[in-house]
Parts: sequence; C-alpha cells; structure tokens
Amino acid sequence: MKFDVIIIGGGLSGLTAGIALAEAGKDVALVSAGQSTLHFGGGSLDLLGYDEQGNEVKNPLDAISNLNGNHPYKKIEDVSRLAGVAKKVLERAGIATAGEANHNHWRVSPIGALLPTWLSLEGMATVEDAGTMPWKRVALVNVVNFLDFPTKFLAAGLRNRGVEVDVKAFTLPELEQLRKSPTEMRSTNIAKVIETNNLIAKIANEVNDIAGGYDMVLLPAVLGIGSSETSRHLLKAIKVPANYVATLPPSVPGVRMQTLLRKRFTALGGTFFTGDQVIEGNFEGDTLKGVKTAKLDGTTLEADNFVLATGSFMSRGLVADYNHVYEPALGVDVEDLGLDRNTWSKIDVTESQPYMEMGVKTDSCLRCQRAGNTIANLYAAGSILGGHNSIKRLDSAGVDMLTALQAVNNILK
Amino acid sequence: MNTVNNNNYDVIVIGGGITGAGTARDCAMRGLKVLLVERHDFSTGATGRNHGLLHSGARYAVTDHESATECIKENMILRKIARHCVEETEGLFITLPEDDLNFQSTFVQKCNDAGIRAEVIDPELARIMEPAVNPELIGAVKVPDASVDPFRLTMANVLDAKLHGADALVYHEVVDVLVEQNRVVGVKLRNNHNGETFNAYSKITINAAGIWGTLVAQMAGVKINMFPAKGSLLIFGHRVNNMVINRCRKPANADILVPDDAVCVIGTTSDRVPIETCDDMRVTPEEVELLLAEGMKLAPSLGTTRILRAYAGVRPLVASDDDPSGRSISRGIVTLDHEKRDGLAGLLTITGGKMMTYRLMAEEVTDLACEKLGVTKRCETATTPLPGSEPIEKEKKISFSQKAAAGRHGTLNRDVERGDVTSDALVCECEGVSVGEVRYAVTKLHVHNLINLRRRTRVGMGTCQGELCACRAAGVMCGDDEGAQRAINDLSGFMNERWKGQQPVAWGDNLAEAQLTAKIYQGMLGVDKLANERRVEYYEI
Repeated sequence: MKFDVIIIGGGLSGLTAGIALAEAGKDVALVSAGQSTLHFGGGSLDLLGYDEQGNEVKNPLDAISNLNGNHPYKKIEDVSRLAGVAKKVLERAGIATAGEANHNHWRVSPIGALLPTWLSLEGMATVEDAGTMPWKRVALVNVVNFLDFPTKFLAAGLRNRGVEVDVKAFTLPELEQLRKSPTEMRSTNIAKVIETNNLIAKIANEVNDIAGGYDMVLLPAVLGIGSSETSRHLLKAIKVPANYVATLPPSVPGVRMQTLLRKRFTALGGTFFTGDQVIEGNFEGDTLKGVKTAKLDGTTLEADNFVLATGSFMSRGLVADYNHVYEPALGVDVEDLGLDRNTWSKIDVTESQPYMEMGVKTDSCLRCQRAGNTIANLYAAGSILGGHNSIKRLDSAGVDMLTALQAVNNILK
Repeated sequence: MNTVNNNNYDVIVIGGGITGAGTARDCAMRGLKVLLVERHDFSTGATGRNHGLLHSGARYAVTDHESATECIKENMILRKIARHCVEETEGLFITLPEDDLNFQSTFVQKCNDAGIRAEVIDPELARIMEPAVNPELIGAVKVPDASVDPFRLTMANVLDAKLHGADALVYHEVVDVLVEQNRVVGVKLRNNHNGETFNAYSKITINAAGIWGTLVAQMAGVKINMFPAKGSLLIFGHRVNNMVINRCRKPANADILVPDDAVCVIGTTSDRVPIETCDDMRVTPEEVELLLAEGMKLAPSLGTTRILRAYAGVRPLVASDDDPSGRSISRGIVTLDHEKRDGLAGLLTITGGKMMTYRLMAEEVTDLACEKLGVTKRCETATTPLPGSEPIEKEKKISFSQKAAAGRHGTLNRDVERGDVTSDALVCECEGVSVGEVRYAVTKLHVHNLINLRRRTRVGMGTCQGELCACRAAGVMCGDDEGAQRAINDLSGFMNERWKGQQPVAWGDNLAEAQLTAKIYQGMLGVDKLANERRVEYYEI
C-alpha cells in the first residue's frame, strides 16, 4: 500500500499532523496503538506554563523566545502563526476552544490548583487572572460518591482564594445501577450511562434544585465522550452559570478530543490503522521507503514521507531497557544525554528528572537520524522530541501540535 | 485514640516493630499495664523490610541448629495464631548444576535433626509443582516454608495488646531515658508531629528498638555492641512463583524468592553499614544487579518481569558481650538484663533474633519482666489466636473488595463498614480497598497518613504504585479545609516516597509508569504547586 505520508502515532501530535496533511490534499495513513496521553489531560491545552526558572508564564510567545536552544520550539519557524493554525485545526474538527498564544489563562485542576494554560475546551472552568477570582459563591455539584472528582481539595483550593464554596451531590436511579459494581464508577462509564439514557434533563433538574443563589456551579467533566453536544446542552439547561472541572483520569474531554480529531482525519479521507504498531522500517540509503506493522502481516506500507509521533516513555515511543534508551519502531537515534542508567533519574521526584529531556535526535527541520545519518523523509513530532521537560514547563500540548504542524510545513515545502 | 491514660505504667516497650508489638501483647496478656511507643509508624524498621518469609528453619539447619529449631517451632505456632497473616505456600530448596549436590543430603539430615520435615523430590516433580523454577535444577527438597505479611502481623499484635488494656503511641520518639539512682524510671517522649515532649514512667522499660536499640541504650548510659547489616531486596510486579524458592547451599546473597500476595520478593544482600546510615537506606545499582542476576537463577522469568521497587532493611546483629570486636555474631535471641549486666535496674533489652522468632523473643523478655515485677501468670501467646485469626465465621457470598478486606484483616473484617453506597465506593481497584476499609483503618489502626494506610490496606502497592488511588484515598481521609491542605502535602510526600523505591529500578515499564504518574500528579493535578510543606516521612519501603 502506498500513501503520500504515513504518520506513526495516533495521539494529539500524530492526529494534528494527519489532519493538516489531509487538509492540504495529501493521501495520509496513520498507524496508532490506540491509547493517547490525551486521556490523561485536563480539558485544556498548554503552550508554556512555566519558564526555565520555574516562574509562571503570562505571555507564552515572549517566554518561548527566551527558552534554551534545545527546546523543540526552537525548530518552529513562526510559533505565533502555527499556534493560530492549531486552534483552527481543532475548531474544524468540532473542538471549540478559548484562549490566546500571547496570553495564558488559568485552568482549574481537579484538586483546585490554578495552572497556566493556552486553550481550554468550551465549558471548562477557567480564570482569566489567577489573582482575582470571578466567582463569589460556588456550588460544587458531584455525583454521589464519585471519588474521581475530589471535591474536598477543589473546595479548599477555591476557598483559599476567597470563594465561598458549598459541596453538593446528586444521583439518579440509572447511576445507582452503575454503582452495583463499584469499579464502574469512573468518568467514562458515567458519561456513557448519562448519554445512552438521555439523562441530561433529569440532571439539569437535580442541579437546578441545588443551584439557587450561586453565581457558579462547577460539575465534574463526565459528559460528551463523542461530541460536545451533551455537555453544552446541560450547561444551557442549568439556570445559573455552570462549568466543568476535569476529573481524575480518564479525562472525558481528553477522550472527546481524540475521538473528534480521529473523526476529522477519516472524514478528510485519511486511512486509520488502529490497534497496530510499526515494528520495522525499510531504509534505502538516507530514505525511509516503507514500514511494517505488527498486524499487517508482511504488507509494507510505503510513502514519500513519514512522521514519527509515538510519544515518550509512557507511550512507548521511547523505551529504556536495563542499559540504554532506544526508539523501538524504527531504530532511529536517541539523544540519551550521554547518561548511564544510574543518572537517568534523581532521587527526589519533584526535581527535574533527566530522563524527561531525552528524545530522538533531529536536525533543524525535525528530521530523524539513523546511525548518525539524517533520514531525508522521516520527521519527528510531539513528545518523542527531547530537549525539554514537559511536566515542569507545562508545554506538552503546544509541543505536540506545533511540532506536528512544523513537520507538515517542512514536508509540504 | 493516641492519648496516654496516665503516665504510670508497669512496662514501657520502645519500638513498634514486630518484636515490640509482640512484647506489648505478651506483657498486656499477663495483666501488666503497658505503653508501646514508636517514633514513626508501626513496622517501619526491619519488620517491614524483609522477604515476608515464614521460615521453616531449613535455611539455618546446616549452620545454626538453634535458630533452625526455633524457626520451625514458631512457624507451626504462627500458622495457628496468625492464620490471617500467613499463606501456606510451602517451599523448595533447589540445587543447580553449579551447586554441589552432595550438600543436599547433609541439608536434609540437618533439617530432620531440627525437626523440619524435609522431603527430597524428583526435579521433574519440582518443575510441575512450581513451573517458575529454573528448569535446569538437578535436585529439589520440599520444606514447610510459607509467606507472612509482617505489616498485618505487627498490627494484629498491637490490636491484641490494646484489647488487653495496653496504650500505643505512634510518631512518639524516645528522646531521653529517665534514670534515677541507677534505675530507669521512664522515658521522655517527643510527639514527632507537633514537637511536644512529655515524660512517661514505668517500673520496667523494655528496649525493643531493633538496630536503633543501640541508641536507646546510649541514652540510658549503657553500651550494646551492634552490627548493622543491610539487606536489600527487589519486589516484582506480579507473583511469578507460588512456592518459596531457595538455593540448596550455604546461605548466600539473593537466594530466596518469596511469593507475597500478588507480588514476589527476591533477596537479600548482606553488608555491614554504619549505624548513622540506618535511617536512610538506599539500594545501590550493584545490589540491584546482583539481586537480579541471582534471582534469575531461581526463576528465569524474573529477567522479563517488571521490578516494582527496591528496598533495604537493617538486621540488628549483636556481638556476644565479651567480644567487642564483633567476630562472634549470632542470629540468635539476645535478652539483656541491664541490672545484672550494667548495674542499671529497670531496663531490659530484647534484640538479635529475627522476625520469625518475635513471639519467642517477646516471651523471653516478658518472662524476665514478670519475674522482676513478681507476676506469675504464664505466657499464653503461643496458643491464643491473634485478633483476625479467631475461628472463621461462615461468610455469605461476598464481593471482590470484601474478599480482599477479609484477606487483609481476617475476622476483623466484620468491623469494616459496608452495604451503603458511601462505604462500598472503591478507592483502590488493584487491591480492592473500599472507602469503608479506609475509614476502618483510620479509626482503628493508627493511620495518620497515606503511607500508614498503605501498610494497613495495601493501597498503592499494586502495579500502578498509587497512580489514582492515592488521590482518592487522600480525599477520603481529609476532613476540613485545613485537613485538605495537610492531605495535599501528604499526597506529595506519598508520591515522593513511592518514587524512592522505584528510582533504583527505574527502567522499562517502571520508568514509563513513573513518567505517567508524574504527568498526572504534577502536570494535570498540580500537586507540586499546592503542596506547601515538604513532609519528611521516615524513608519507606
């Protein structure tokens, strides 16, 4: 099978690249193992939350220009422009977001921290200025005993910022049914029960009974796996202003993003190989001719260009074995920072961990290397790139999307 | 629950490890008024840092007849009195091609001499009985080894001591030993949570502080010559073997693999370390390498099994008194009557020994205390079941989490609230811990933080190492807003302590999991941004 471009990896970065290429009229295939770190995201996309000194970033564009030379943003020609493109890509996929690249706002984390972010999905609770809370009296309305919405922490976090908070809870017979197996009380299961049983009106009634006198109702983000329709619908049906706060994983807004991006990709004619993974590359000189996957027995997927967007260690895009770090799909060169196993990590978990900065080696055009030689048609994008600590910087979604778009530009050039 | 009823006791027991807990139980059962004090949590020292092996004694049979005899006797006793803490796995002693098969007959003979049933079996049969065993084996002997949960065992002893009227204080450290006219009359305690100090008085003080007993003795002005011996171990992510696997040779490094609950543990190494380092033991890369290499000889599949964490404990080895050089070190029980030995009345030290012989150690020192106090009641700990191990009531059909809780708490499981939606909500899916069980642990089992909770309920001990359950449990445990801030600090401390055990083995799936945990707790939740205090909990396992 022959395509213009093959994307390896179906997370935020791979899907962004796939969609952008398909929008440009390319014939694209995407090979995805299925899982995505979007499921561990909070319904917002971060561009740069903290600078290298650990200070909160107000204007990401300014702060990005001050980053060190290894940061993947340094390989992006015009961050501001691509940030705008990224927002449009999401919008065309049915993912409406609010936020600007030159001006962070703050997302409310599930335990009540305010964290600087770039784009937030519609309906998510956000704050324009962390110093002035926009709400006076908040009702936190949970599903009875849904432990993945830690209301006590959230309430304490808001109260510390001068907000009056009451914690309330509701339930419905259908949710009680779900509870019969306690392992089922998780965000995505609740979302399925609410959506398959059309419970929005009933929930709105329950919430409206509670909501009188509050200027904001905060709900767990357990609605809208496949689209934002139900989550939007509920907020409209509640008589006072209401927003969602992300729950502990799995994140329903994150699952929704992945679902919508994938739909958009296939609607544009992209070919999606799911539950599969690339196990081998067919290199000729400095060119990657094709890849073999675990499931397409013997078939080689060929393309003019390839994008490697398989993520970091947690996504198995990088693998650390007993002695070394390697890239398992194509065997491209990894920047292991010259460290041996005993120095990959540090004893204090809150310190900046050296392994976080590992990634595949790329040239200034994001092209990978193999045995020291640049591969002319293989680009890396997203969390598989090293040179930064995405957990300390809060920049992972930005790196995922913007490096994907830059790789696409480089391919289209 | 952590209040002292009054400040006058018959006995103060120092040390909340298995020896101290067992001693408190025995003293309380003889009718003495007891205070048990522990500077951190129960079982934070060597008690919580071993294999969890219920030795048959076979390991000591050839080199130490006395220890072997003690072990098999206590093994049989613990199977009866601590039924809910023991899993009757049986054990194998295997001979590999590189070992001397002639050792086997000596081994079996010595086992029999010590009263340990040792049965030579065909290597082929051993492979069938224990499919994980190294298929290259050329000899196998079956012995009555088993596995034991030291956390549970310690807690059961504490609970029984309390049922017999004892007081128990955790996070209370002995900062001075009160001496009046050559007699120890009590101890000065510091509450390690708030720094307050107060005195507690007793007729007899029993030093059961393990390796730290040497420091307690120092405070009383007497000297005990101890030799801290560090032992490192690795926990694997699942239970590779169902029987304990030992090497049939003279005891050496990393030659015991024990199945514990859903995991298995390989160990140990043995190295002398300075006493100053005992509060913060780290497993070195060399030790990891050795444990892994030797472990794979027992069960080759360990080479492809994820290592969950690495930890180390310190054995309280004691030099025989007339030999300050430390050349004649025993693993046997050492009971010191400081009145006879040093002319200091009111102080006894119980040390040496091993987890397996804790009950016997407790009996010996309690006998001595009773003798001094003129109490004649005999020891009943060998025949009285521990709380949780009483005869089983017939249980109705029960859920996964009920079953899991019953496994952890034995018959005490009846005190876990359940049957309503709040209590039945699951906090930890890996280990089946419900909100009811968390509440039970908090109110009944001296739980002050997440690490304590883990020791009582196994929250966060599974393959995810607390990925989501830690946050859920912290939410259940916190009360008001002030409690919420404490819980966030606790959560941050818990994640750091979990990492300490993972870090020495941070490669492969372990590194991937650690990165995911960091992404969730730091990147998504922002725990690091909210925590406003670095809680320095005692290094953990």
